[in-house]
Amino acid sequence: MKLESGKISGSQLIFLAMGFIFGTSDIVIPVQAARQMGWLTVLSGALEALVFAAIFTALAMRFRGKTLIEFNDMIYGALFGKIISLLYIWYFLHLASLNMKFINDFFMAIIYPETPLVVLMIFLTLICASAVRNGLEVIARCSVLLTIFTIFFYIADTLMLLKESDVSNLLPFMGISWRAFLLSSHRAATLPFGETVVFIMIFAFLNKHTEAKKINLAIILAAIAVSMVTARNTAVLGNLTYIVTYPSFMALRQINIGEILNRMELTVTIMFLSMAFVKISLLYYTTALGIAQLFHLRSYLPLVLPLGAIIIALGMINFDNTIQDIYFSANFYPIYCLPFQIGFPLLSLIIAVIRGIPKKEP
Amino acid sequence: MLILLFLAFLLMLWLELPTLLRKKQWRRLAVFLVLWLLGFVMSFLLSIGVKLPSPVKGIEYVIKFFLPL
Repeated sequence: MKLESGKISGSQLIFLAMGFIFGTSDIVIPVQAARQMGWLTVLSGALEALVFAAIFTALAMRFRGKTLIEFNDMIYGALFGKIISLLYIWYFLHLASLNMKFINDFFMAIIYPETPLVVLMIFLTLICASAVRNGLEVIARCSVLLTIFTIFFYIADTLMLLKESDVSNLLPFMGISWRAFLLSSHRAATLPFGETVVFIMIFAFLNKHTEAKKINLAIILAAIAVSMVTARNTAVLGNLTYIVTYPSFMALRQINIGEILNRMELTVTIMFLSMAFVKISLLYYTTALGIAQLFHLRSYLPLVLPLGAIIIALGMINFDNTIQDIYFSANFYPIYCLPFQIGFPLLSLIIAVIRGIPKKEP
Repeated sequence: MLILLFLAFLLMLWLELPTLLRKKQWRRLAVFLVLWLLGFVMSFLLSIGVKLPSPVKGIEYVIKFFLPL
């Protein structure tokens, strides 16, 4: 009996991955240290993330129809496989709680200043829990609609901000040191793009296994969109971009067309929320599915609600304030995620090639 | 606040336990109960105002230990 009976198609995978990448990067991208070169570091970060993607896609293609948890046992043996699987489950769970905290911090700071954080978290978690209980297909279909909507908004906002933007804010070209450039690229690579490593759990449910390669296309398209947004923010806000906590939101505040179309930012936050929903649902889903597969359960459905409570509790204890969150994302997260995004996949691939598993069917 | 918390966690039990008990899958029941208990203890401690150690602090400590920057 299979845990997940749903199947997703290649094009759904593209939208799911794009929605996943937009999840937090539409609000803030940790490339503020790169000053005017932020948009270029996003692109070079995406190139680095394509290397990560090549490794975990190769792994997924080698073990067709198996998720990470199942093939960890085949590669490392029962004991070490379980340990590595547990680490991955922790990573997905922790990532879900980090994102939950981050999006709700944003809403609390900007829109609902009087509402307690935990109330916002509970509502978002309930929506995500209902999506997770309905399975992967539902999340994938939601993501298609919501991501198209978001891309439309990205383009519309950029056009509406053309009047306010000043391209000379993007100069000087390469006004930062190489070290800062590379550090900033690495941050961009790990924070929005490298997190696509969760798709190693999703590839097993594709209609055609060769379509796992489409994740590269999703990363490239998302990188172009995110880079466009970063360039737009810098062009609109100038030096203010490196000071404000939420540059995209501040830039959208400047929309003013003929004194009629202004204060558009609140409509656009719907898009932030919908993308965060896609991202958190997917992480939540992989956590539930991962635990169910680790313990060989027949269904992950009973685990969904308790996991939601754990995500909320973790989100509450992770950080005391937003500054700690941003400091962690910029300085510690790029190192914390490395074993998960490249270390273990690369090790697994090398061991699988050397041991020649899985054995070819005669 | 505490009553709401208890109600929420009892609701979780009420929603999931009947199916789990009927199907007699003890392993699934055990995993569910462990996660339920973990969530309950964490939420309870948070709501009575205990400051739980943040996992982020642990991660930062480990990274600083291995990479003294």
